[in-house]
Parts: sequence; structure tokens; C-alpha cells
Amino acid sequence: MRSVLLIPLLATLAVAQIRNPHTSPADVAAGAKIYRSHCADCHGINGQGGKGPDLTGGQYFHGSSDAALLKNITDGIEGTAMPGQFFSADQVWQVVAFIRTLAVKGSAQAPPGDAAAGAKLFRAKGCSNCHLVRGEGGVNGPDLSFIGSQRPAVHIRQSIENPNAHVDPAYWRADVVLEDGTPYKGFLMNEDTYHVQMLHPAKGLVTLPKRDFRKFAIEKMSAMPAYKGKLTEPELESLVAYLWAQQRPRRVE
Amino acid sequence: MRVWLLFVAAVVCAGQDNWPTYSGNYNGWRHSTLDQINRETVSKLKVAWVFQMPVTERIETTPLVIDGVMYISEPPSNVVALDAETGRPYWRYRRSLPDKINVCCGQVNRGVAVSGDRVFIGTVDAHLVALHAKTGAVLWDIPVADPKTGHSLTGAPLIVKDMVITGVAGGEYGVRGFLDAYDMKTGQRRWRFWTIPEPGQPGSETWSGDAWKHGGGPTWVTGAFDPAQNLIIWGTGNPSPDWNGDVRPGDNLYSDSAIALDADTGKLKWHYQFVPHDTHDWDAVQVPVLVDGEWQGKPRKLVYWAHRNGFFYVLDRTTGEFLLAKAFATQTWNDGFTKAGRPIRKPNIDPSPEGTYVWPGVQGATNWYSPSYSPQSGYFYLTAWENKGLYRKGDAEYIPGNRFIGSVPEIDLPEEPGWGAIRALNPKTGERVWEYKMHTKPWSGVLTTAGKLLFGSTGGWLSREKMAMESFFFALDNETGKELWRINLGGTMASNPMTFRVKGKQMVVMAAGSGIFAFALP
Repeated sequence: MRSVLLIPLLATLAVAQIRNPHTSPADVAAGAKIYRSHCADCHGINGQGGKGPDLTGGQYFHGSSDAALLKNITDGIEGTAMPGQFFSADQVWQVVAFIRTLAVKGSAQAPPGDAAAGAKLFRAKGCSNCHLVRGEGGVNGPDLSFIGSQRPAVHIRQSIENPNAHVDPAYWRADVVLEDGTPYKGFLMNEDTYHVQMLHPAKGLVTLPKRDFRKFAIEKMSAMPAYKGKLTEPELESLVAYLWAQQRPRRVE
Repeated sequence: MRVWLLFVAAVVCAGQDNWPTYSGNYNGWRHSTLDQINRETVSKLKVAWVFQMPVTERIETTPLVIDGVMYISEPPSNVVALDAETGRPYWRYRRSLPDKINVCCGQVNRGVAVSGDRVFIGTVDAHLVALHAKTGAVLWDIPVADPKTGHSLTGAPLIVKDMVITGVAGGEYGVRGFLDAYDMKTGQRRWRFWTIPEPGQPGSETWSGDAWKHGGGPTWVTGAFDPAQNLIIWGTGNPSPDWNGDVRPGDNLYSDSAIALDADTGKLKWHYQFVPHDTHDWDAVQVPVLVDGEWQGKPRKLVYWAHRNGFFYVLDRTTGEFLLAKAFATQTWNDGFTKAGRPIRKPNIDPSPEGTYVWPGVQGATNWYSPSYSPQSGYFYLTAWENKGLYRKGDAEYIPGNRFIGSVPEIDLPEEPGWGAIRALNPKTGERVWEYKMHTKPWSGVLTTAGKLLFGSTGGWLSREKMAMESFFFALDNETGKELWRINLGGTMASNPMTFRVKGKQMVVMAAGSGIFAFALP
């Protein structure tokens, strides 16, 4: 019985003690090369984030230890857009070594703006009609409950001013007209050889057989209006500050 | 002697309650003479039973059925014997494995081989194991190669005479490939054919320096056997490293080739290299389809081969002579062939540090999943992909047990993910007869039957990024491609359908998710 209890504890200690064996300047340079071709598209060329999280904070929700980074880069992260990579362990270690150089002191500082005012604006300007924040709001747009952990402030600002700058394919819309003339337009959730599945603003979850289609198009533009010029600079800063403050609780490792 | 002759008779004239070997018969046809399920009755097809495996690895097995008993491999390297009528298991062989297994693409297995009272399985720790068919007891267990240096056995062995033939995987680890024959009774090795020749051997002039030592050319998909000519015909995989050819100048024989070996000696009779000096990972690991057909008005022994590089080939089975190559999918690498059959490469198709777009992508225009040939229709059927890839070139240094590949290509381009189809070809010309289009790229093979049906499936593996992958199993009219029946099985499909008859009832089987699904008429 005792040994049964000990094993998980020892295993935890062993994982925590795994150290990156590839941290020489040459390893960092090799890791940088892989990072630029395979990671920078989402995490930014300097780790500043973009379509994916900012890596300059040095603390990561899915684990900050060497072992956690090795695992997450190799296998990807379930339930996120982070894919696994087909690299040898040595190469992944080199990427980990490079990621360690991205940490910038003070990078986790809050952007300027009044987050409390931003919270009021989020409701007053109608954002919450479509976006969910911790259980409150609509589902006709991305869930923003932890957006501050997932995107850098600059990306949040860009998405408010110009939503079309980057549209997550999960928010592309299917525009369907059935043979009998019935139109359906909603977020394209899945498509296979025989069906289209969508989240329809009025009808909810809908699966439509393709054999009944007269028209089928995919709109890759955002359904969200652009707020550039519709908000004052202080309003925009406050909204960004509010959204950036939506951080995941720090995970205990 | 008599025993193996009887076995050959059973495998060759699949007349056919049993499904005795990976491809159904030695010819690699994946075709059954059963016709209870046919164009008229198939719409009534129902699930007869499901066998669920308690595993998370991908199921790639083709079950075998002999006299009412089904033998399947369960990943990573287990074997289960079931009652084929009810799906109830008799026994399971559970292999314990070392902590670290070096496999490129999952701890998978494509099936077992059975002869008499023996069941054979290759394991991901590179052993070949013989089990008693009645109990699963281990009869012998021999190391084939060193798993620490990236060798593994994932393909189904092939019984030839009194031997078990097995290939090896490890093309992403810089193995030196081979094909082995073992005595069925003792596990003693009879012969080994190295797919990468050592200095001084014929073919070694296509290598330079020490590159041959880690030259690849694995043999991880089951080949075919021509009893009349005593020839084993098998495909070989990519040269190593995959995407950086600079460290291995030359044609790199016998990578990416069809090889024909004398079954008794393992000596090479002929070869045809589909891709000299491959830098795109276009393995020739497809099932060779052997047909005694007509070529330009005269009877001739032929091999049909739809290759990962996007071309359908016809070769002479006695000499390996190149007779025809015709693209069956979009390709941007080839500018024709010389008379001898050497492909003429377009310029600027090599992987590059910044990436080079080439059709087909790295998973090919087809892959390891099986094609089918129907002697009734005379057509050759396959699962095809329309896709391009972004090929990158990076450093490649051989470190034992590490991937030796030379950068990583992009496989599923987000903006242009590609699509799939079942295609029927006229093998006399390579021309397409019909196609059945799919939204996604499938990962499973096709089966044809005397019921004038083709069984196939959509989609591929379901993963977190690819919710939209699909899992439909369907039956088509194999003369027209018209869909007659389909069902959503809801899980990763990455194997090949097969069929058999037990107690007068024909069943069709397909693996999906962790399950083996058997279908029959009510």
C-alpha cells in the first residue's frame, strides 16, 4: 500500500527534475531556426504572441517546467489550436532552449486603460450580446473568458478595431440555401462529405444534408462589426485593459 | 510439403469462406468471391457485432478469418482470437514492451499471419512471435532487429511455403532496410535481403560514403507472392534522411522500389525504382497487385502498382520491365519517363529551407492502405488524395534512436487541406473510369467483392484539431461508383475492409476508433 502511494509522488518528482540537456548557444540557435519556421506564425517572431499566446512572460498555463514544454511541443495541447510537432526530442529541447530566451522582464505588465470602465463598456457597446465572459454573455462569437492569457494586448486591440485581420476558422460562416428555398446562415462547425453542421443564430445546432443544397458558400469574413473610429481612444484602451485582465488562474505545478 | 501446397491452394483460390492472409489472397487483390451481400441486398446491411479494444492507439489491422475464428492484432503488439460469428473473444496475447519505443507514427500494427496452428505477429520492439492458434501460447519469440536504433515491426507477416516473411519499419530513424524469411516451425532465419546494398554489392554504386549504413528502404507493408514463378514481390520505403538528400548522393537503390525475390534464397530477381533519389518521402509501400492479364493483345504476367508519387504503373512480373505509368492524381514533379521507365523530374521540386510546394504532399497521392482489383470488372481501385505539401529541408545528422529526417514538411496546409476520392482505373491504360469524391482525405483501403461492390470509407484520424474528419463506411457499385449504402462509425478509420463467411452468412468488417465492426444481412 505504501509503495502504491509512493510511486505517483516519485514520478512527479522525477518529471519536475527533468532538465533540458540542450542549452548551449548552438542549441539556442538551432531552436531559433525551428521556432521561426514552425512556431512564429502563431506565437510571433519574438514570442510576443498573435494568433497564439504571448510567450515572453516565462510562465505558461499548460506548464512552465522543461518537462511540460517538451511534452506540449511534442504532443500539442488537447482542446487548443496547438498542434504536436514531428521533431526529435533533441530538436524540441533546442526549441525549449530558445523559448527560454524569449522571456522579457516586466512583459506581463497590464496595458494602459481603466479595466473597470472597460467592463461597463463591454456591456454598453453590445460586446456581451455575442461574447461570453465567465458564463455571462452570448455565444455568437469567441469565448473571451481567458482571452488575456490567450492573446497579447496588441492582438486584442486589433481584433476590436479590425476583426477581419485574423478570423479563426471556427467563426467562418456557412451560407446555405436548400432546394426548397430555405436559407440557413450560421457559424460553420463541421463539414464532411455528406453534411454541413452549423450554429444558427436562431435555430441553434443544425445538421444539413448536402444532397438538399441549392447553394453552399463559406464566408471567411468576421461577423463582428469593425470598431475602428467608433470608439474613442480612452474607450478602446479601457476595453483592451478589461479583456487583457481576463487571465486564467495560475496553475500549480 | 503437402501442407504448404494445401495452404497455397487455399490462399490462391479464395473460393472463399476464409480471409487467410492480409490482402485476402497472394495476388494482393483484396477481392472476395462472396456475393451474398451484393448490389441488390447491400442496402439492408446491419451491424452484426462490435469488438472494442481497450487501447488508445490507432487500429490499422486487417483481421484474418480461418474456419470461423478471427485473428486480429491489437495495438501496440497484442493478438486477439475471436469467434467470427459473434465477436466474442477466445484468447488474447498481451505483449509487454520496453518504456521507450521508437516509432515514427504511432505504436500500430497492420495484422497477423496464420498458418495451421500458428499465428505470427511482428512487434513494435522488433520481435517476431509465433503463437499457438488455439490458446495464444508463445511458441517462439525472436529478435529481428534492435528496437533502440529505431527498428520496429508494424506490418502483417506473409506466409510463403514453410516460411514467415516479415519486413521492418524505421525509415524515419535511418535504419538499413531488409526483408527476412524465418522457418515457421523454429523461428530460424532462412535468409535476409538487404534493401540497401553494402559496398561491393550490385546497386552500391548508387550510394556514396557511409550513407548506405543508415540508408532507409524499410519494408513495412505486406507484399505479394507469385507461386508459379516462386517470386516474392514487395515494396520498399524512403531513403533516409527523408527530406535532405544531400548526405546521400545517387539513386539510392533499392529505396522506393518494387523488388522481386526468389522465395527460396531471397536473391533479387529484378527491381524497379519508382523514385530515384527520393527527397519527398514517397515510399513504395503499397500492396503489389499481381494479374495474369493481357498487355497489348498478348497474355502477360503483370504487376499493377499505384504509387505514393501519384502514378499508376504496370510492370512485367517476370522481368520488372516498365510498361506504363499514368498519373492518377494531380502531380507537379514529373515531366514524363524515359523508355526504360526512369522518371524525368521537373526542376525546382527539391525541399528547400524556406519550403517548396509540390503535388502530391508528403503523405502522397495514395499511401499504405490497400488497393483492390476485381477480376469481374477488370478495374483497379484505390483511395486517392488530391493534395500538395510544403517541403522543407533542414540539417540531418544520424544519432542512433533519433529521427533522421532532415526538417519537417507541412502536411495539412490550413488554407488548402486537400481532399480524397475512391477512383476506379482501367489498368490497361491507367485511365480513370469513375470517381467517388470525399470532402476529406481518407486513410483506409478498399475491398471489392463478387457482389459487384466496393467497400471503402471517408475521413481519417479524428484529432483535436480536426473535428471535421469523418468516419463513414460505405458500399459503392464497383462498375459505376454509385453509392448504395453507408453508415457513420464515428471513429478514426485507418485500415482496410475485409469479408468472410461463417455458417453460411457473409460478413464485412471494418475497424473504426477502437472497435472492429462486423456487418451482415439480417
